[in-house]
Amino acid sequence: MNTRMKNLNKADKTAITAKETSTPIDKKDSHKVPTDNPVTYPREFPQHESRMNTQAVGQRATRPDGRLHGLGQTQYIDDIKFPHMIHAKILRSEYAYAKIISIDTSAAEAMPGVFATLTGKEIPTNSFGPTLQDQPVLADTIVRHRGDGVAAVAAVSEQVAEEALSKIKVKYEPLEPLFDVVESFGDDSPRIHGGDTNVYASKVIKKGDVEKSFAECDHVFEERFTTQMVEHVPLEPHASIASWDGNGRVSIWSSLGRITLGRQDIARTLDIPQSKIRLVGTIVGGNFGGKNEITNEPILALLSRKTGRPVKAVYTRGDEFVSSTIRHPFVMDYKTGVMNDGTLVARKIHILLDGGAYCSWTGTTIGKGSILSPGPYNIPNIYVEAYAVYTNKTVTGAMRGFGAPQVCFAYESQMDTIAEKLGMNPLEIRLKNAFSDGSSSPTSQRLQSVALKESLNQASERFGWQESEA
Amino acid sequence: MIKKGRGMACMWYPIGFTVMANPSAATVKVNTDGTATVLTGTVETGQGALTVLGQIVAEALGIATDDVHVVSADTDTTPMDYGAIASRTTYVTGNAVLSAAEKARQILFEGAGPLLGVPVDQLKAVDRKIEVLGFPSKSLGIDEVSQHCEAVIGTPSIGSASYNPPTVEMDPETGQGKPFNTYVYATQIADVEVDDETGEVEVKRMVAVHDCGTPINPMLVEGQIEGGISMGVGFALQEEILFADDGRQINPNLTNYIMPTSLDMPELEVGLVDNYDPTGPFGAKGAGEPTAVPTAAAICNAIYDAVGVRITTLPATAERVFGALQELKKAS
Repeated sequence: MNTRMKNLNKADKTAITAKETSTPIDKKDSHKVPTDNPVTYPREFPQHESRMNTQAVGQRATRPDGRLHGLGQTQYIDDIKFPHMIHAKILRSEYAYAKIISIDTSAAEAMPGVFATLTGKEIPTNSFGPTLQDQPVLADTIVRHRGDGVAAVAAVSEQVAEEALSKIKVKYEPLEPLFDVVESFGDDSPRIHGGDTNVYASKVIKKGDVEKSFAECDHVFEERFTTQMVEHVPLEPHASIASWDGNGRVSIWSSLGRITLGRQDIARTLDIPQSKIRLVGTIVGGNFGGKNEITNEPILALLSRKTGRPVKAVYTRGDEFVSSTIRHPFVMDYKTGVMNDGTLVARKIHILLDGGAYCSWTGTTIGKGSILSPGPYNIPNIYVEAYAVYTNKTVTGAMRGFGAPQVCFAYESQMDTIAEKLGMNPLEIRLKNAFSDGSSSPTSQRLQSVALKESLNQASERFGWQESEA
Repeated sequence: MIKKGRGMACMWYPIGFTVMANPSAATVKVNTDGTATVLTGTVETGQGALTVLGQIVAEALGIATDDVHVVSADTDTTPMDYGAIASRTTYVTGNAVLSAAEKARQILFEGAGPLLGVPVDQLKAVDRKIEVLGFPSKSLGIDEVSQHCEAVIGTPSIGSASYNPPTVEMDPETGQGKPFNTYVYATQIADVEVDDETGEVEVKRMVAVHDCGTPINPMLVEGQIEGGISMGVGFALQEEILFADDGRQINPNLTNYIMPTSLDMPELEVGLVDNYDPTGPFGAKGAGEPTAVPTAAAICNAIYDAVGVRITTLPATAERVFGALQELKKAS
């Protein structure tokens, strides 16, 4: 151990014994610190052994941000304030599917404390989306779900902005909404985005010959599995601040998890060069996939340009549920061919994804969901067909697992159905079919660094699977 | 009556975007006192990614995690990165910061070689020193070497690099291709109790054994797994957005949208498989999303084991399990 390490360790011990929260305030400083506030920030900085070791990989290193969270020193967007900053709120659609006839913001604008309003027509390129740019930043001609924003207000406070929303008059011509995914997939359904189908993404994976294999195998199992819509529910809702400066450059602080692509998307909607945008990803209070595309950043930027002030917006929990993305519900039909000894020989899967009102991250979800859907098993014959369709419901997008939790629910439930029918232990049937190094995936990729059997064996051992067998 | 059951589920999950290029770039600068600064365009979303990236750079430079400061998430200062998505940060951004650190280290080696009188390929960075391979008594402090490179030779130790996982496009007709460079694997096993009079399910214990390649920081991996399981429990038993006939959400609030709290969490036993992926930084892959993948299947298999009803529609709420139990009674 070198001298520096020794010193740091000494510091460590001192720090841990120091009583940080009850450090007395020096008399000379007391006029600066409110005496009724018991919080004083620590003046000792503990060093943890886990961060001091020069073999760094494998250490249970503590997180520098963790201590700040614990002390309340982390600045989330809700904590960040700028001089003359004002607050924005967004009006949401009254209908799941309707034409917008007119939007009248004059009464809202006339309200004391209101600085500006914004509608979709004022947005230079009023569309966004990671693969298909089919979603308006603020809907200006048609609303396709209840979470669509139709107008925004910037005001002196959140309360005034909220009140001003109620003064905006929007005339709609309601259209017949479509909520059922199976109906939307049908030939006669109304087309939510025009065109000749509501299907906007599809995937096929084909390996071997499933039909031939079904005819030759000992057992065929057929089941339908369905999953629901769920929210990410991050502790911190979507939040951002935009501030346009006198050089025509806009700085945006956002809870977004992908700033490089986010800046591209914002530049596109605002029709300004990327170099004119500074996008800062702030400390995020949970993402889980839900903060991977722009939401209100262009709206705040334009409101800031209109008002010459920094503009902040923090979603309410309600906004978070209805207007941010959620997990795709899946309807999954599984047909699996098995031999008497439990060997899987064929799997045919049909998946229908409820794609909600806009595409968002459906492309990735349908891709990963399809590729993973046969499960981590050596199955020589595979046919997967997946379709994503529009409905007039909340936008489905990226969420932890991109379709994997849905298909895993199906393929692993069916594994137990098969095991029971064949009188096999669930562990045994999985080990029999599990991938190992060199296995060929459903897309014929040669797999490496496969540790599936190890995880099955170790989990079973820790659980006491064999001992607890009924 | 309370019935006990157990169920397992395993899974596989890819790291990075599907086929699409998803590069990350990074810059590493070794300061003249032997500490280092990393610039990355990824965002800390609460998972501890910046800590992991710091550990990777520290390991490459032979210094401690605390010697490394990671600057992130500002398009004015940090290099491009496709972001904290697709369980890609440890693997993709990790490979980028590792390459950048190796380039910075190479500058240190080129400065130290002549001073130590050995060829550059005979050096390693370890314990805050640049040391001669196989002859540890001959070494220089990384601070001295960095100072020498910057202030004497005039080549500051800065490295920039990027990484993109190699993929092969999927055939549009058959889907055949190599959509990802690597995958992780896991098994979760649930112990449940089901009240066969009310349909209520309680998850008592879960064992989760995950593969993430080398765990750069095992504590953070365990945290991911515990968090993933809580999300999985909600997906399995409680959470569902409900809609009225007019398309309005009925429960867009935390009073009526029921999520697991600490009281719903089972006892957890988390384990990591010993594995090493040669394509990842120090053998690491990733751990973010897969932790939430097999939970619901394991719980539903345990429900079947307990009371003999196969739940095919999630979530397995008490009403749904009760309904399935009634059907089962009718049928028998």
